[in-house]
Amino acid sequence: MSILLRSSEINKLPVVTFAGEDIAQVKDIMYAAHGGQVGGFTLNGRGLFAGPLKTALPWESVVGLGPDAVVIRDEDALTPTESLLAAMQSSGPAAGDILGSQVLTDDGAALGVVVDVVIEVADGGGGQADVVGYEIDPAEGAGRGTNRMLIPLPDTMSASGEYLMVPAAAREFVTDDLAGFGAAVDDFRAHLRGQR
Amino acid sequence: MMLFSEALGRAVVSTDTASTVGKISDYVVDPRLPGIVALILSKTSSQGNALPWPNIIAFGVDAVTVPSAAAVVEPDPYLAELAGKPHTLLHKRVLTTSGVLLGTVLDADFDPAIGRLAALLLEQGPIDAARLLGVGSYAAMVRA
Repeated sequence: MSILLRSSEINKLPVVTFAGEDIAQVKDIMYAAHGGQVGGFTLNGRGLFAGPLKTALPWESVVGLGPDAVVIRDEDALTPTESLLAAMQSSGPAAGDILGSQVLTDDGAALGVVVDVVIEVADGGGGQADVVGYEIDPAEGAGRGTNRMLIPLPDTMSASGEYLMVPAAAREFVTDDLAGFGAAVDDFRAHLRGQR
Repeated sequence: MMLFSEALGRAVVSTDTASTVGKISDYVVDPRLPGIVALILSKTSSQGNALPWPNIIAFGVDAVTVPSAAAVVEPDPYLAELAGKPHTLLHKRVLTTSGVLLGTVLDADFDPAIGRLAALLLEQGPIDAARLLGVGSYAAMVRA
């Protein structure tokens, strides 16, 4: 079983070791593979006045990511932020840029603005954390009122930071609650595969 | 099996003088075993307040027996470290290695013959103590 998390829920999660110590908290998510998956996290210290840390957490060192914490074996999991950032950049544009960009279907309709990223975490650790969808603030005229909606993503997609291209078919798999979203993503991806 | 809460306040009696040397006020747990490695006593007559588990003759239902008052010692660095507040088990939140909070430790079940922990008791039920990985200032970590 896998779980779905919004990126906004992951920010500020404590980073806890097997020894039960909270050594840091998530500052930001770093994305790899053209924004398709989580590559790691930049970190802040714990406590009200703690600033950013010079170390970051690569995804490979994460044992578990859940609604309440990011779990690592021990402090050796952390690496210097600089080197991890360099590795991320070489793997493609960061999806952090995607927040605020317009979602455009390939038939040219604007669906809205991205306000959150939905991440699927495979169970059992060692798996990937895939970006499977976006939460968007709907554009007027998308005919969906003003409630935020969740839109599933294909396995691969293109993004420029200005626009995010999605197949027109994505529109049919839009939902407004995270509970049923996992199924919507699976259905949508199955639908796309079926077309090819 | 016995509960932490059940044995709290139980008298520790020395068999050579048949007198009380203290009362159980806390447990020192090594999560790597996982088991009780010492008892912390209150109302002791001697200098120290730690009773290392190997110094116990028997952990009985009415009293804990020790050979003499000398069984109660100053905690060594290993015990002092584990006895510190960050490592106490009771009232600690319980987090799985999948990053999910399960609740807080209300009580713990242990085997009074060997001091081994059997289960952590949470609001929603017991957890096998064999899943315990570590107890730190933030949480008691258990395998998912």
